[in-house]
Amino acid sequence: MKMAEISKFFHEKPVSTPIVAITGGKGGTGKTSVAVNLAVALKMKRKNVMLIDVDVDGPNDALLFGMKLKDGENVEFFKPIINVEECVKCGKCAEACLENALVYVKEQIPIFFEELCSGCEACLLACSINAINRGYKILGKVYVSEVDGIKLLTGELKPTEARSPLVVMKTKEKAYETAKKEIFDIILVDTAPGVHNPVVRALQGANLVLAVTEPTPLGAHDLSRILNLVNRLRSSANVVLNRANIKGGFKDVIYNICQKFNVNIVSEIPFDEKLLKAYVGGIPVVNRFPDSPSSKSFFKLADFIIKELGVSE
Amino acid sequence: MNSLRGPKEILIASGKGGVGKTTVAASLSVFLAKKGHKIVAVDADVDAPNLSITLGGGKQKSSQKIRISRKAILDSEKCVKCGKCVEICQYGAIFQFKDETPTIMQILCEGCGACTLVCSVNAIKLKEKLTGELTVEETEYGFPLVTGKLELGEHNSGHLVTSAKKIGHIEAKNVDANLVVIDGAPGIGCPVIASISGANYVVAVTEPTPAAKRDLERLISVINHFNIPAGILINKAELSETYRRELERWIREELELPILGEIPLDYEVLNALTHMVPIIEFNPSSKAAKALLEICEKISELV
Repeated sequence: MKMAEISKFFHEKPVSTPIVAITGGKGGTGKTSVAVNLAVALKMKRKNVMLIDVDVDGPNDALLFGMKLKDGENVEFFKPIINVEECVKCGKCAEACLENALVYVKEQIPIFFEELCSGCEACLLACSINAINRGYKILGKVYVSEVDGIKLLTGELKPTEARSPLVVMKTKEKAYETAKKEIFDIILVDTAPGVHNPVVRALQGANLVLAVTEPTPLGAHDLSRILNLVNRLRSSANVVLNRANIKGGFKDVIYNICQKFNVNIVSEIPFDEKLLKAYVGGIPVVNRFPDSPSSKSFFKLADFIIKELGVSE
Repeated sequence: MNSLRGPKEILIASGKGGVGKTTVAASLSVFLAKKGHKIVAVDADVDAPNLSITLGGGKQKSSQKIRISRKAILDSEKCVKCGKCVEICQYGAIFQFKDETPTIMQILCEGCGACTLVCSVNAIKLKEKLTGELTVEETEYGFPLVTGKLELGEHNSGHLVTSAKKIGHIEAKNVDANLVVIDGAPGIGCPVIASISGANYVVAVTEPTPAAKRDLERLISVINHFNIPAGILINKAELSETYRRELERWIREELELPILGEIPLDYEVLNALTHMVPIIEFNPSSKAAKALLEICEKISELV
């Protein structure tokens, strides 16, 4: 099947609301600051915004609003529970388990290693006598909250669990469910750093991708990787250059990369003490210091998004 | 891999990205090598492998492709379009439009094989796929560097980290090294768990901001789960004076972990980075380098 057709399936989503994903490759380039301030700036421009935080390893959007998350809903996934009375010790379940979460020693009941289980249900299918019951393990939590008139959905991986992509998937399912009940103009998605599967899952369904980077050799290197990934997913990328004016910066290299990938730098956010101050204080800078240099960049970026997605009245 | 004999593993981790893991890992590696330790460095941030750049780029000695991923492949000739595979896939990787032949989206496929079991006409098979690449370089500082680079969008970053560490230990044997310095990935998920498992000591890097503190808290709960000794390094210490004091108190009293030291905000760190030279080499008399050298000394005594 042609890549273009596959990418259509890949980006298929149950809501028609346009989605902007904020990503970047390297960690600490300012993804969360961009996501949160963009959400607030859009709200100030009278847009209904849903913000989905799917950096499930370290979800900090709520923290940047100075808000504590509470009453999360568990993210549950299948795990097998072997009925020891019924089990005939054939070992078929262990054979089917490619993650090696079920280990079979001859003529014994298979041993289950929960941390390796991916919840795929292959064991359930392999057991011909139905000696495996459905159990559930908790991979993390999803929080639905409201802050400054913005709907915030947060996915959180349970520490010691490894399967971040599945928490991303479940968080987005919950978000779509919520977005079907209320009307939003724009959905923003804050992704994890990197180019691995949790990021792929976060980028799914995005109409527009903002890759946030910084003018350093590391920012440049990781920007190339994320732009390659975005290309592969057939999404359209734009670059946000954070701390654009730091002296001795690697701005030229970033420009060259953008040229090579044929993407635009749609925003340059200057280094701003006020942004840092607001960040530490848990108030979005566009609220606390709306006249600061970084706030002005965020308002401009919000205008760009509105225009690009065609969501003006 | 936990080494009662073999070389000891020091992991640089952080929870939050961009707090300075790679800067610390590069300087620590060079420091230990200069002190006469035989070491091997491993870049376990397979998503964004940057240690090589920070060390000025090395001479490649070897490289190998790692193929531990699996993907389901559908034979459309055999397929009877029953849709059972779509139903069983827990990861939403199989899509079917009306009654047409389903499409397996490789990038979402976890390779679990459940669809192969449910398919009554054996139309689905699992195929091995490239997970990533591991390279060994000789750095200009005289020690080898193993770098893992994940194939874009892939799963199994944890497996790739484990492979990178294995190669690191083989290299260590070759050069008779007693220390392996590992630059970890941000987060607490699969690749981080793979780098923590087997480590002898974790240097957790943080900065005085609420987000870095929160992410450190999550990281420490994983480290404690594995029962591995750790110390904290506060980078960019002057980002917030008030928050810094609160952070120090919290680390000592609530995490009950030692603070290995604090690195001041210093423009020279960025300057060193753009010159692709570790800060302790680039400008050893800068305030950041001085602080970092003291911390490296402490770490080398600890391990």
